[in-house]
Order: sequence, then C-alpha cells, then structure tokens
Amino acid sequence: MVTLGDYLFVSGLLFTLGFAGVLLRRNLIIIFMSLELMLNAANLSLVAFSRFRTNSLGQPNYDGQVFVFFIITVAAAEVAVGLAIIVALYRARRTTHVEDINSLKF
Amino acid sequence: MIPAPFLEIAVLTWGLILLMVDAFAGKTDRRGVAIAGILGLLVVLAASFFLTPPTPAAASGFWSFYTADPLAIFFKRFALVTTILVLVMAIDYAPAIRMGVPAANPHAGLGEFFTLPIFTCVGLMWMASAIDFVMIFVSLELVTMSFYVLVSFTRRNPATLEAGVKYLILSALSTGFLVYGITWIFGVTGETNLTQIGTVLATQEIDKIPLLFGIALVLVALGFKIAAVPFQIWVPDVYQGAPTPVTAFLSVGSKAAGFVVLLRVLTPFLMLPQVGRLLVGVAALTLIYGNFAALPQSNLKRLLAYSSIAHAGYLLIGVVTFSGAAVAYYLVAYLLMTLLCFAVLVVVGNSGGSDQIEDFAGLAKRSPFLAFAMLIGMISLAGVPFTAGFLGKFFIFDAAIRQHQTMLVVIGVITVGCGFYYYLKVVRAMYWLTPPADSQPVPLSALSRLTMTLLIAAIFVLGVYPQPILNALDQPAARATISMFR
Amino acid sequence: MTSLLPWIALLLPLASMFVILLATRSLRTLSAFISVAAVLGSFVCSCLIFFQQTSAAAAICWIDLAPLFSVPLGLTLDPLSRSMLFMVTGVGAVIHIYSLGYMSADAGKSRYFAGLSLFMFAMLGIVLANNFVMMFIFWELVGVSSYLLIGHWFERPAAAEAAKKAFITNRIGDFGFMLGILMVWTGTGSLVFTEIAAGMAKLTAHPSYLTAAALLVFCGAVGKSAQFPLHVWLPDAMEGPTPVSALIHAATMVAAGVYMLVRVGFLIDASSGALHVIAWIGTITAVLAALMATQQNDIKRILAYSTLSQLGYMVMAVGLASGQAAMFHLFTHAAFKALLFLGAGSIIYMLHHEQDIWRMGGLAKRLPITFLTFLVGTLALIGFPGFSGFFSKDAILALAYERSLPIFAFAAFTALLTAFYMTRLVVVAFFGDARSPHAARGAESPIVMTLPLILLSVPAAIGGFGFFARNFLSLPNETKPVVAVPVIALLALLIGVVSALLLYRNRTTEPVEIELFRNRFYFDELYTALIKSTQGLLAAIAAFIDRWILDGAIVRGLSGGTWGSGFLLRLLQVGNLQAYGFLFGLGIIGLIYFTVFH
Repeated sequence: MVTLGDYLFVSGLLFTLGFAGVLLRRNLIIIFMSLELMLNAANLSLVAFSRFRTNSLGQPNYDGQVFVFFIITVAAAEVAVGLAIIVALYRARRTTHVEDINSLKF
Repeated sequence: MIPAPFLEIAVLTWGLILLMVDAFAGKTDRRGVAIAGILGLLVVLAASFFLTPPTPAAASGFWSFYTADPLAIFFKRFALVTTILVLVMAIDYAPAIRMGVPAANPHAGLGEFFTLPIFTCVGLMWMASAIDFVMIFVSLELVTMSFYVLVSFTRRNPATLEAGVKYLILSALSTGFLVYGITWIFGVTGETNLTQIGTVLATQEIDKIPLLFGIALVLVALGFKIAAVPFQIWVPDVYQGAPTPVTAFLSVGSKAAGFVVLLRVLTPFLMLPQVGRLLVGVAALTLIYGNFAALPQSNLKRLLAYSSIAHAGYLLIGVVTFSGAAVAYYLVAYLLMTLLCFAVLVVVGNSGGSDQIEDFAGLAKRSPFLAFAMLIGMISLAGVPFTAGFLGKFFIFDAAIRQHQTMLVVIGVITVGCGFYYYLKVVRAMYWLTPPADSQPVPLSALSRLTMTLLIAAIFVLGVYPQPILNALDQPAARATISMFR
Repeated sequence: MTSLLPWIALLLPLASMFVILLATRSLRTLSAFISVAAVLGSFVCSCLIFFQQTSAAAAICWIDLAPLFSVPLGLTLDPLSRSMLFMVTGVGAVIHIYSLGYMSADAGKSRYFAGLSLFMFAMLGIVLANNFVMMFIFWELVGVSSYLLIGHWFERPAAAEAAKKAFITNRIGDFGFMLGILMVWTGTGSLVFTEIAAGMAKLTAHPSYLTAAALLVFCGAVGKSAQFPLHVWLPDAMEGPTPVSALIHAATMVAAGVYMLVRVGFLIDASSGALHVIAWIGTITAVLAALMATQQNDIKRILAYSTLSQLGYMVMAVGLASGQAAMFHLFTHAAFKALLFLGAGSIIYMLHHEQDIWRMGGLAKRLPITFLTFLVGTLALIGFPGFSGFFSKDAILALAYERSLPIFAFAAFTALLTAFYMTRLVVVAFFGDARSPHAARGAESPIVMTLPLILLSVPAAIGGFGFFARNFLSLPNETKPVVAVPVIALLALLIGVVSALLLYRNRTTEPVEIELFRNRFYFDELYTALIKSTQGLLAAIAAFIDRWILDGAIVRGLSGGTWGSGFLLRLLQVGNLQAYGFLFGLGIIGLIYFTVFH
C-alpha cells in the first residue's frame, strides 16, 4: 500500500534533485530543465494531497488537481519565454555556459 | 456603476487591440501606440472611481478568489498610475530600444515594448485582488513572464541579456518554491482560499510543522518579489542590465504588488508568533544590506537598485507592525519619488549614453529643471521633511514605536542616516561638480516635462497633506474586511 | 454658509499676500489696495460672525491615522474668539488704512503690505485655532511676519539687528512653548483644547508635572508678549514702521501671548504654583518697564515701554486667575495703544521722521487733531476716570487688592509711574515752544491718517463703560466694590500727573538723569555679555569634542566601519548565477530553520 508519505518523500526528492541541478549544472538549458523538474515535483505532491485528503463523502479534494493544470500551463508558457531568452543569449554570446555570463557584478 | 472585474478585462482588451495595431501598422510611428495606451489606462483609472460597491457577504464562486475591497481598488489604481508613468518613460527611451533590438525595420520591437507593460498592468491588478493561492500564482506568473520579456528586450546590449537570464533563472526558482509551498499549505489545510485557510487554522487542530514549512517557502517567493534579504541577490544585476523604464516598473510595480500579496497572505497566519519574529529579522537584515551596500556604488541604476532593497526594508517594518495604511502611503510616496528619479535617469542616460553618476556632473548648469527634479526625488528618497518620503518614514516609524519594535526603529534611523550619504552623492555631482567642457543641455519632451512637474508637485503636496491616501483605504462598505489593516 | 465665514475671514489676507507677491509686486498702489480690501473683507466677516453669534465652524482633518496619530484643523468660535476676531480685524483695518498714508512714498510698499497681509492671516489663525498644533504653526508665522516687518527697512543695520533680535528672543520662548505642548499632549493624549479641558483630570493627578507643563506653555507667552526676562526685543522692534509698531507690537501680536494664556486658562488655573510665578513675572515686567519708560527720549520707545508695562498688567491678571480682567484690559489697551502709536506716527511723519521728544514742542497748536486724539489715548492709558483704561485697570487693581497685597502695591506704584511718564511725554512733545526747525514747521497730517485716529479714539474713550463693553466680553464679576482701590488709583494718578507737570513744564532739556533707567537696567548689555561668554566657552568645548572625540573616534570610525561593511556586502554580488542560486538556497534553509524549528 503506497501511502501519502511515500508520495511526499518522492516528490521531495525530486524537488531537491531539481534544486541541486540548478545549483550544480553548467548548461543553461539543463538548469532550466531542473527548474521544470522542481515544478513537476510540486505537481506530484499536489496530486498526492488531492487524492489522499478525501472529504466526508470519500471524494478526493479536486482543488489540488485543478491547480496542477494551472501549474502545467504556466510552466509551459514560462518555458516558451525562457527558451527564447536563452536562444537570444546564445545568438549574442555563442555560449550557454552559465559561468560565462558574469559581467554584471559588485 | 461598473463591476470591478471589468477593469482588468478592459485593460487586457485594450492591450490586445494595441498589439494587433502594432502587428499591422507597418512603418508608422509607434509612439502613437504608447499614447493610445496611456489614454486607455487613464480612462480605466477614471472608471475605477465608479465601481459597484462590493457586497461583503458574497464570497462564493468568482468572488471566492477575486475581491474588490478598498485595498484591492487602491492597488489597482496604483498599478494603473505606475504603468502610465512607465509608458511615458518608455516613449523617451525609444531611441535606446531602436538601438537595442536587432531588426531591419526601425520600428521593430517598439510597439511590443509599449504594449507589454499593459499586460503586466493587468497582472498587477489581478494580484491586487487575489485572495486565493491559485489566483495569486497565476497573476504573479503573468507579471513575471511579462517582465522576462521586458527585461531582455534590448537584445543587442550584452548586459541586458545577462540580466534577463539571471532574472529568468532566479525568478523561476522562486516560482518553484512558491508552488511547493502552496502545495504543503494545501496539503495541511485542504484549502487554497486565504480566508478559508484562516478559518481552518483557527478552528481545527492541524499539523504545525508542515504548515510552517509551507508558509516559509511561500515567503521565499514573496521575499524574492519584494527584494528582501536573503532573496535580494538578483536585484542589483537585473536592475542594472534591464532597460531603464523596465527597471522603474520592476522597482515600483512588482514591489508594490508583492507587498499587497504579502499582506494578504500573512493575514491568516497572524496567530503564529514565529512569523512575526521572522519578519523582524528579515526587515532588519534588509535595511542593513540595502543601505550599506549602496554606499560605494558609482552607477546610478545600481545605486537605485540597492536603495530599492533598502526601501523594501522600511516597508517590511510596516508589514511587521501590520499597519496597512502606513504601508500604502509609503508605497505611494515610493512610487512618486522612484519614478521621478528614473524618469530623469532615462532622459539623461539617453543623451549621455551611460548611467554613471559622473555623467550627472554639472547637470544643474546644463539642464536646471532636470537637476531640480532629480534633487526632489533624491531628497524625498532620503526623507527630508515636507516631502512625501519623510511622512512615509514617519508613519512607519510611528507604527513601529507604538508596537515597541525598538530594535527595528534604531536600525531604521541609523540606515536613514546612511541613506542621506548616497542620495546626496548624486545631488553633489549635479550641483557642485563642473560639467565637461563640451556639454549641452539635455533635450526634454513636453510630455516628460509635464510628468516630472506633476510628480514633483505630488511629492510636495502629499508631504504636507497625506489625508487623501490615508482615507482611500477607509471606506465604510468594507470596513470589516480591512479593519485589521488600520 | 455661516460655518464658512471664519474660513473666509482667515484666508482672505493669505490670498491677498499671494496675489501681491506673485502678481502685483511692481504696482505698489494696487498692492496696497488689495491688502486693505482683504482686511476689510475679514472685518466684515468678523462683524457678521459677531452679530450672528455663530458658534461652530467647519473643521477639516489634516492628518488622520487614528488611533495612531490625529491632527485636526478646526476653528473655534466661542465668545472669546469672536470678540478677539472683531478686535483684531477692526484694529487691523484701521491701521491698514492709516498705512496707505504713512507708507505712500515708500519704495517697498508692496513688500510691506504683503507682510501685513501675512501677519493678519497668522494672527487670525492664532485667534481661531482650536488645537495646539494649529496655534503653534500660526504662532511661528506671526513671528516670521513680525521679523519681516520690523526689518522692512533692512538697509538700516539697526533695523536688521532688531528684526533678528525679535525673532531669536521669540524663538527661545517658543522652544519652551513647544516643550509645554509636548508635555500636555503626552499627559492628556490630545492636542485639541476642548479635549484637553475635558481630560484635565489626568494632569491634575500629577501636580508637579502639571506645573512644569503650565510654566513651559507660559514661556511662549513670555517670548511673544515680551515679559521679563525676554522683554529686550520689544523696544528695539520700534525700528519698524510706526503702523507696524501700532498693529503688531501694541495691539495684536504681543496680545497673542495673553490671548493664548486665557484660551488655555483651564490648564494654568489648575496649578497654583504656576499662577504665582505668572503673576509675579507680570508684576516685575510692569514695574521695570515703567521705570525704564520714565527716562526715554524717543517717543516710540516710551510707548514701547508703556506697552511692556501694560502687558505686564495683563499677565498679572492672568496670574491672579482672572482671564476676564486680562482680556478686558487687552481690548482697551489695543484701542488706546494703537491710537497712541498712530498719533506718534502722525507726528513723526509730519516732522520728517523726528522721533526725539526734546526736539518737538508746541505741537498742540500745529497738529490739533493729533493732539486731541493723543490726549484721549493718554487719558485712557493713565486711567483717568471715565475713559476705557480706567475701568480695565481698576478691575485688575481690585483683583490684586483682593488676592495679593504686595502685587497690589507694585501695581499701584506702576500706575503712578505710568501717569508720570505719559504726562512727561505730552508736556514735552505738545506744549512749550518748538525746539527744532521741523517742529516749528509741522502741520496736521492728511485725512487718511487722521481719520483712523478719530475712529480709534471712540473705543479708547467710551469702551470701558459697562453697557458698551458687556457686548464684547464677559466682564469680571464685581464682587463687592472696595472703596480703597479706586481711591488709591486716583491718588497715584494725581501724584504722577502733578509731579510730571511740575518737573517738565517749560523745560528744554531733561532735568533728571537716572542712568539705570535710561540704560534699561543694562539688560541688553548683560545678555550680550552672557551670550558672548557662554558661547565662547561652549564653542571651545564643542571644538575640542568635535575635533578629537567626534571627528576622530566616532565619525571617522563609524564612517570607516560603514564604508568597510558596505564594501564587503557589495562583494556578495559575485556575478555568477549559480553562486546567486547558492546564496538563495542558504537563505531558504535559514528561513525554514527559523520558521519551523524555532
């Protein structure tokens, strides 16, 4: 029997992996992918909460699942815009290495 | 009488129409688009004074995630005024856009630069009315995504793209935390509506640790938006790299909306003492960081970025004491003085080509009006009496003293002293340094001159007679809703 | 509509000032007429308010962040302020008309009338204010306009110095005033007079606090009404044009201190210690000023010291817990002192700015109207039976007799001196032979100047009679008429008049020289020496602290420290995106730790 705790644990793990990816990977596109991973971890956790938090009639709390759709939509829009910016950066600087973009400092 | 949701719909429709006009306009001067945008927003601003009063009992259906209480209406007007002023600045900034956007058509990109703030405005207006986490999330993302595009707009400028990428990554990171936090709050309480969360917290026995975890993560995202320590790290680079009108918009609009959402989100969690102590610590650190790090700056945009962190600190003192009227007044004062400074910066930066403080040397001799405008903006930011900035700080400190937040007041006063140094650094450059030999007066359009005059007048008038703003939050129809904000 | 009248009366002079300053600066006569029209308008409003007995005015809220902080702007219209309003605008209107003649040839006429309008606005604000903040703001404005008007002929160094002295001395008093206001606010939680009166119980529970607050509030009156020891500015203020001296330094501004004390009478009356101090300061001022007046030779200075002395009487009455007697004397004094000053102005104008009484003489025949009206004013001032001053001074003397015999003795002695020096003035200036070529050629002033004199002599003469004065203010209760008081007063009058007549008839130079009185008890010299020595010492100490401790250790240390930490903090922005993310993460961990586990 898979319990709520298991789902939450996996989702937490995914979230942490995503965050680690943002901090440690050097390619901008992979960083972006890790961000999406974080969002999806939250999606997983939302669906789990929705499924396991039943109301008095035994029905799942659908608010969580509806929220997941919103998140997916917004994530898609974000990717569209974000990738456009990364492509523009590549066109200008010929690199997607995150260490190369540090002219603005102090 | 107009129902409140029509305001955003009107603005959104107008934005779409202008975007279509821009797409099919060919080679005509896009400044017409900006003027049309300003006029449309002015109409909506006027319409916001003729809204149907909200019925307090109806909190179901649409009204369970959208509210039209006085706080919301006030910030809708705030967002509209900010956008109008940003569009005025954008008109002045058009030559830099033309240089920054790579395209054959000289008008490429200008139309979009003028219409994107309108969509951002819609997002800000929705954020002001959001009382459900889902609505908060969606409107916040609308604002953020419009800003992604706006910040990276002048692609030819390498600093802009770098700022854009940094903003993108860090903002998406904070969004991730926001969503995860909402998830945990939803998981613990089973609700996403803020008032219902409050009811659940008050009546039921809930698991404290996951709830606090959730609220901490949500505060991460809101802290990012309002540029509070330790989430302010993006501010200097992004503000410096973005086009100046966008910086102004970020500095004022995004921050104000963040504060509104912060106030609303914190309401159900007032009964938790950890949140209060946390905010005190964050406010203190923000004040210190913003003011101290601004001291050695020589780039005016970067200096204004650090100063906006510092002002977030003062506003956080207001949030700690939960005096909504003081926070609202401070935000209005902040709008006036920051937009004034940025308006001058746009004009001078365009003619000089850079944003360093040295370029302001001797401005008083070259363009006395611009120097005067910048002077008023700077002294208001510093908090000199008879300006709106002074009264803003006065109300905030008054609220803090009454709630015995002595440490915050002491730190606040010390940092005000710090602030005088770096604000007056600019004044000194303008009035006491000699201009370079080949300098000429800075050209200033009539519309910008009018805008700056109005801003200067407003700073002085509000510095002496603050009552209209303080009254705006106090309307009898919804007194119960916002009574806790007084 | 009636509730707007006081606002109109208040704002008309302000509007006039703005119009003059912004638009008609170069059109001198037009500026003058605008100012006169404005004050006449205010006077009409005051008459309407007075006869309609309006008692409530519209109030607006300036800052309202209740329950934190609330400052209303309201006007109060009780019998006291109504009559004061009537008097201020009435005397003001008369003096404005007079100024049309006196300042007709002056180059700075626009500036002068703008200053007069500003003064009227500020004075009316003091009269109408219903809370301490409003009163304080207008209090300061009155000081500013007084400064501007005293220094109207600023090219004269004496005038510039006098203006500065007036402002600074006032400022010292105002500092105490402000402290007193703060103490009252902290004690009762409100700044509105009616609310403070209602909440007096909170203050009476702490008597020493109340006394301190009352005395500090009195400081404001000490400065504004030139009581001892801050009396030194009033005689020097005579450097200003004579209508200014009449309006500001005789009738209205200096009376503002007394008005304020009566307005917050509930505060002062609650503390017997404060009352005691106030009464004695008033008495000391009255006596000292009268002594100094006996030896002055400048006609305006004599009148200035006389004003000081009469103000001392009013403050004495306040200290004897009768605001009514003080206000009665204030009204009569306003009429006859303004009359005397305008008369002096008439003389000065026609004698080409000759102000030394020993260079006048024989003017009774040459300036008949001026002489007659001046005589009326003098008789009122010295308390000749039947004239207004007799009744008001008698009321104060009766009070003193009843409450404190030593004060009564001093007051009676002062009455004697008053009769003495005023008779001296009249005899030397108006009788005898002309002692200078100007005096020999003097002629009567134009009608625009003599008409105000005639107008003012009416209230100066008959203003004291019960049936007339009762319309204006509540007269002090006549308990049991004591015969001794008027008898002693008349005796003092007679001795004073007769001795002056004997001493000064047919003299061409001053027969009696009392250096102490002539040099004003050396107060000015004392103050200058005091300021110089303490300032010198303080400056030396401050320089030492500044150079070594403040500049060296604290400022350089602090600024170095701040600069250093600023520099360090700036280094956090390394520019690398992932470093930012890392710092972000650290912040998140910290936030979660403090929220969840603390």
